[in-house]
Amino acid sequence: MRIEPSLRCRGLTVRFGDVLVLDQLDLEVARAETVALLGPSGSGKTTLLYAIAGLLDPDEGEIEIDGKPVARGLKAVPPEHRSVGMVFQNYALWPHMSAAQTVAYPMRRRGVSEAEAAAMADRLLTMLGVGELAERLPDQLSGGQQQRVGMARALAAEPALYLFDEPTAHLDATLRIALQQELMAQRDRVGASALYTTHDAAEALAVADRVGVLRSGKITQIGRPAEIYGQPMDRWTARLTGTASLLRGRVVEANGDRALVSVLGASLSVPRTDSVIGEAVDLLIRPGWAVLDGPLEGVVERLRYEGPHTDYLVTTAAGALQIRQSGLPRFDVGEAAGFGILQAWALPIES
Amino acid sequence: MSAPSIPRLWGWVMIVCVAVAVVGFPIFDLAREVIGAGSHAVSEVLGGEGAWSPIVNTIWTSSLVTLLTLALATAVAVTTSGLDSRRRLLVLVAMTTPLLVPPFVSALSWVAAYGPGGLLDDGIGVSLPWLIGPLGVVILLVVNAMPIAYLIVNAAIRSRAERDLVRAARISGANPLRAFLTITLPLLRPALLASGAITFIMSANAFGVPAVLGTPARFPTATTRLYQDLVLSADPAAFDRVLVLAAFLGIMTLVVVGVADMSKRNPIRSRTESSGPRLDSHHAGRRAPSAVVAYFGVTAVVPMVALVLTSLTRGVGLAPTPSNWTLDNFGEAFASGAGSAFATSLTLAVVAASVVLLLGGLLVVLERRRRTGVGTAAALAFAVPGSVLAVAVLLAYGPWLRDTVLIILIAYVAKFWALGHRPIAGSADAISPELFGAARISGAGALTAVRTITVPLLRPALAAAWLIVFMFALHEITISSLLYGPGSATLAVTVLNLRQLGDPTVTAALAVLLTVGVVVSAIPFVAMSRRWGVNR
Repeated sequence: MRIEPSLRCRGLTVRFGDVLVLDQLDLEVARAETVALLGPSGSGKTTLLYAIAGLLDPDEGEIEIDGKPVARGLKAVPPEHRSVGMVFQNYALWPHMSAAQTVAYPMRRRGVSEAEAAAMADRLLTMLGVGELAERLPDQLSGGQQQRVGMARALAAEPALYLFDEPTAHLDATLRIALQQELMAQRDRVGASALYTTHDAAEALAVADRVGVLRSGKITQIGRPAEIYGQPMDRWTARLTGTASLLRGRVVEANGDRALVSVLGASLSVPRTDSVIGEAVDLLIRPGWAVLDGPLEGVVERLRYEGPHTDYLVTTAAGALQIRQSGLPRFDVGEAAGFGILQAWALPIES
Repeated sequence: MSAPSIPRLWGWVMIVCVAVAVVGFPIFDLAREVIGAGSHAVSEVLGGEGAWSPIVNTIWTSSLVTLLTLALATAVAVTTSGLDSRRRLLVLVAMTTPLLVPPFVSALSWVAAYGPGGLLDDGIGVSLPWLIGPLGVVILLVVNAMPIAYLIVNAAIRSRAERDLVRAARISGANPLRAFLTITLPLLRPALLASGAITFIMSANAFGVPAVLGTPARFPTATTRLYQDLVLSADPAAFDRVLVLAAFLGIMTLVVVGVADMSKRNPIRSRTESSGPRLDSHHAGRRAPSAVVAYFGVTAVVPMVALVLTSLTRGVGLAPTPSNWTLDNFGEAFASGAGSAFATSLTLAVVAASVVLLLGGLLVVLERRRRTGVGTAAALAFAVPGSVLAVAVLLAYGPWLRDTVLIILIAYVAKFWALGHRPIAGSADAISPELFGAARISGAGALTAVRTITVPLLRPALAAAWLIVFMFALHEITISSLLYGPGSATLAVTVLNLRQLGDPTVTAALAVLLTVGVVVSAIPFVAMSRRWGVNR
């Protein structure tokens, strides 16, 4: 028997007036898989989650959760019967309910007895490290604490699919990493699937089994984190997914799955794309893909010491390049520096 | 804290003197008189035949009106909260435009449209016989209370992330009804309390509607009985009844305000802001605008059209076609003293608005820190029923000023001070003290800083305060009906008296004129609130 994916969206289209927010979007999330959707604000992330949760009706397309169609034409399943749990960007905690009441709420709606729901809520809050705050109102909780209560509420629903709407957007960096780890631990323990939206590339790469790039209401590229980071489809995606330096080169040879590109007088072997011999390409070089000390020549234009490592911005005849290397700065601004390229990815030239 | 400077001190002295003169002294006098009359007189009054019925009537009608108004206003605000801004504006306009029609004119217009011998009766033989009577009083009070109740509830819904909170409940497994009961309703509690208290007080203190629809059906309320005893009765025992009724209205108002205030403590705050798309799958909400527009048509437009047609007709019962139209009714209205009444109302409105403006502006400049308590006192004064204020002012100043325009003015200033104080204080709160300080540091003296910084920033609020007091004073009826004398009748009182003389066409003409006056004075207010973004 074929296992149905936890979520399947086909041809999903949502319009707000004349604005096309989701444009024929297709997406699948497998059982126990986490998919992160990465996109700038306005790309339709929240709208997609709302359509899946049943909080708005798509204009076209189908949504299936656990193999059951929930949005197809007029027979839309209301949100309370869709078996999704959602963590909201703004937490959406009810201001008149204590943390314990909030977490007990979904269980009470399922008909769990009051005592049982209270005990379960207490267990969930303790598991998330906010057990001692159970009697507080949202007003009396910090942002991170509110987010944990929001997560406990989503967990309490025991859904087939978790929806995370930029759950860490309003948190500081340390808390964000702690919460990300907790989210993954929770997911592994409960074994549910999750769809996660964010505009933070590092977060998407860290939490997801697969990362999808959302642009203008369409998923333009989807794949394992290493693929999305290492082999973005275009310059826009390269910049969205992390720091991207581009050096201009020319394809000199192509055989098998590799191509040879000449850049700054040296030859570099890169994974082959549909490049044509003799054609100019942009070589994407991530900060860790180049090292100081090497045959290529450049001038250090900017330095940024960050403690564990130093970022060097090196200008060359083929463009500017950012190199990240551990340790203290080894050059002064304006000094010539030699460097080498370990790895690169060829992108077609865009005007 | 530095000691108050000399001009500041004089300013405070002036404010306190006015407050004591227009509110403190009269109310004190009334209390003294009620206590002086003694428990014997009170029990005698209450033991008299039919003494309880106005009080009982006031309590049950006001309670029913409050329940109906809250239910309707909440239904409209909740079902329309998910609409796009264009449709929400339509709902807002349809719900609040009736504010421009004075309550007793609204009652008159309903009689002209739906009453026996009204427009619908003549046209298609349909009339509502119960309109003159308790049911009519209740319905018209609901219609008149709806705009304010809707504004308060709607503001509460818009100010918090209500949509996301309800969405979170739906995802947690609550159906729409359960989500409304467990999330929306508890969160609206403060707003419902506030609008409930206001609706109850407004209904209990209403005079125009029960005077037009209750009195002809021998359905007395506290305010209409008080009017009859004070103005129409020659019975010396009547004055004791006036005191008892005034005391009842005053105490009930205080109790309602106090209860609402106490239950409002510890308001639930929410830091979250709404996010995400506004479009909801509220299927019910899509039909809500048409329902609201239909409500607006039935309760305001049709009655107003009927009133205008009545004012234009050559005779009651003629078909409302242009050939039967005439302007004679307006001429007749002016012949029967409307001209001087119009002048009286206009003078009272202009002077009351200007005095309130001066007091409000002075207070804001003097109040270095907000919340000195004067604002609360002024708000309380607005809650004091017009009938009670009128009786109190009459007791205090009657010996010298009875039957003059001045005595009405004193009561108006007492009544409308709060109305004008609120926009000015609200706007002043929004001006950061640094702006004033920066002017002083830049070399401006205190008065120059007030003139060049505070006043220009307050200008919209000052204008709004003046206009709102002007509008309310222009169609005021409760106070003036109790205090007017020969030569000091206001426009509203003249309409009421004409109606009691039984001339529907001339009454209609005058009521239309009065409404036109209110609408015209509201035009700059609406234009200004658009411009300053008050009216979102």
